[in-house]
Amino acid sequence: MRHLNDGTLRRIYDEPLALTATDQAHFDACPECKARFGSIAQAAVATTALLNVPGFAPEAAAALKSVRARIRTEEAARPPRWYERWLDRTSPRWRPMATPAVAVLLAATLVTGLAATGAIQSLIRIFEPQTIAAVQVSPSDFANPSAVLDYGQVKWLPDAPKVQQLSDAAVAATQSGLPVLMPASLPQGVSGPVSFGVVSHAAGSLTFDAQRLKASAATKGVKVNPMPSSIDGSTLVVNAGPALVEVWGLSGNTSQAQAPTLVIAQTRVPTVDSTGASAADLETYLLSQPGVPPDIAAQVRAIKDPTSTLPLPIPKGLATTEPVQVNGVSGLLIKAVIGAGVVWVKNGVIYAVGGQLTPDQVLAIATTLH
Amino acid sequence: MLQMEAWRPTVTPAPMSAINQRVPDPFEQLFLQEYPKVVAIAYRVLADRPAAEDVAQEVFIKFHRSYSPTSEHASGWLHSAAVHSALNVIRGERRRAQRETAHALDPARAPVASPERLVEEAEQRREVRRALSRLPQRTAALLMLRHSGLSYAEVATALGMKVGNVGTLLRRAEDALRKEVKRATSE
Repeated sequence: MRHLNDGTLRRIYDEPLALTATDQAHFDACPECKARFGSIAQAAVATTALLNVPGFAPEAAAALKSVRARIRTEEAARPPRWYERWLDRTSPRWRPMATPAVAVLLAATLVTGLAATGAIQSLIRIFEPQTIAAVQVSPSDFANPSAVLDYGQVKWLPDAPKVQQLSDAAVAATQSGLPVLMPASLPQGVSGPVSFGVVSHAAGSLTFDAQRLKASAATKGVKVNPMPSSIDGSTLVVNAGPALVEVWGLSGNTSQAQAPTLVIAQTRVPTVDSTGASAADLETYLLSQPGVPPDIAAQVRAIKDPTSTLPLPIPKGLATTEPVQVNGVSGLLIKAVIGAGVVWVKNGVIYAVGGQLTPDQVLAIATTLH
Repeated sequence: MLQMEAWRPTVTPAPMSAINQRVPDPFEQLFLQEYPKVVAIAYRVLADRPAAEDVAQEVFIKFHRSYSPTSEHASGWLHSAAVHSALNVIRGERRRAQRETAHALDPARAPVASPERLVEEAEQRREVRRALSRLPQRTAALLMLRHSGLSYAEVATALGMKVGNVGTLLRRAEDALRKEVKRATSE
């Protein structure tokens, strides 16, 4: 059989999962190709070292601002387009139509309209995660009655999120507005049709009510700290989803419970806006409630920036976590007895890959998603 | 987490208008998605952060002038423009540097990071960039796109070649660069 060419061997070094089954079989059995691969890999490593540069975190938001400013300046300086010249010559009565002032006016009307209905007061973004932190929990932590106390009025705006099961990738992508991600290749043991779950975008609000909390605590017979005035009456608006989940290993024709072999999930980061209470107020108050296990409280408090960090509960003793670099951002690698997973946040989307796989397999999938 | 548990009780529908929706415009979406890659490509070529940020911003402004952010060729165009613009910068520098005296690279390396070591590393990076600027443009572009973390498929799209050819050309490009660096340091 013909040996693998240099290009294929070079690609194995970068994208091992892109290898075809035939090439893989040849490579596994061919000492000559393996030896050539060794020297090609060495050359690749040497080149990587040559081209190495100190790391830095790009600041996309700041760059966008500056690019926008430059575009605005350019647009202001460019000669008027034909239709703008035409509008300029027409009756002065219509002239405002040609100016951006119309857009500003429309926006202002919209905003005041919303403000008048009380929908927008002064919303402050208090939570928009950019990173993830593990918080070790044990199941007993959630067996506590105070966890289900009534803190106030809850509303879904307009409906609770809907979950749909789909088998068509294109439909799943359209429904969720998220691209269907596929690994470069599937590891051994993962096969079969992939099914999709789409969770719709949902928004909800919670208006804190000190009286209701007091009443519900009295009914449950638990003691709570009184709600501070900075929190009482303020509303949190939570925006979450949409989410797209891709599942392998659930064949439709068997009735027995199966664990999926591979799951790839993505969701837009949830955000929380507050009309009054700040993230710090809420964290201090909620963590001080009796019934919150002190070690969980300590772990959450230890999160440096609660407004941009998503705490991820990890069952104590069943899984361990470690930080990893995934697709240019830092993520969290979760290792468990039954499998592994990796979670990262990039460009406003939370990604998760996991299954009955080794940590290396999970990372390989995560880094070749396309 | 605990707040979420407290969410379950009463559910009342409210008007859709009350949702605080954020719908980013397509250019912003494209920018936030591609800027990290575009700046990484420029930075890998230039080894200079402010210069890389300048190149990346210039690339997006050029893109905005001529193309739609929803075009399916947007990413490929941005990656290609980033690597070629950055390579043009180092080529310009090479022409400037040709008039100056070149510094020889000291092969002795200190075992720990010291000021001397940092200077040395910076000098080595400059040396590698000079070697890079002497490679054919397409060879250098392919090498830098891949070493900026682009997948083979992305490299192929950006340079308009077949995915199957990326490995072979990359292998040759890596050899060419190492030869060029060796030649320069032994001179």
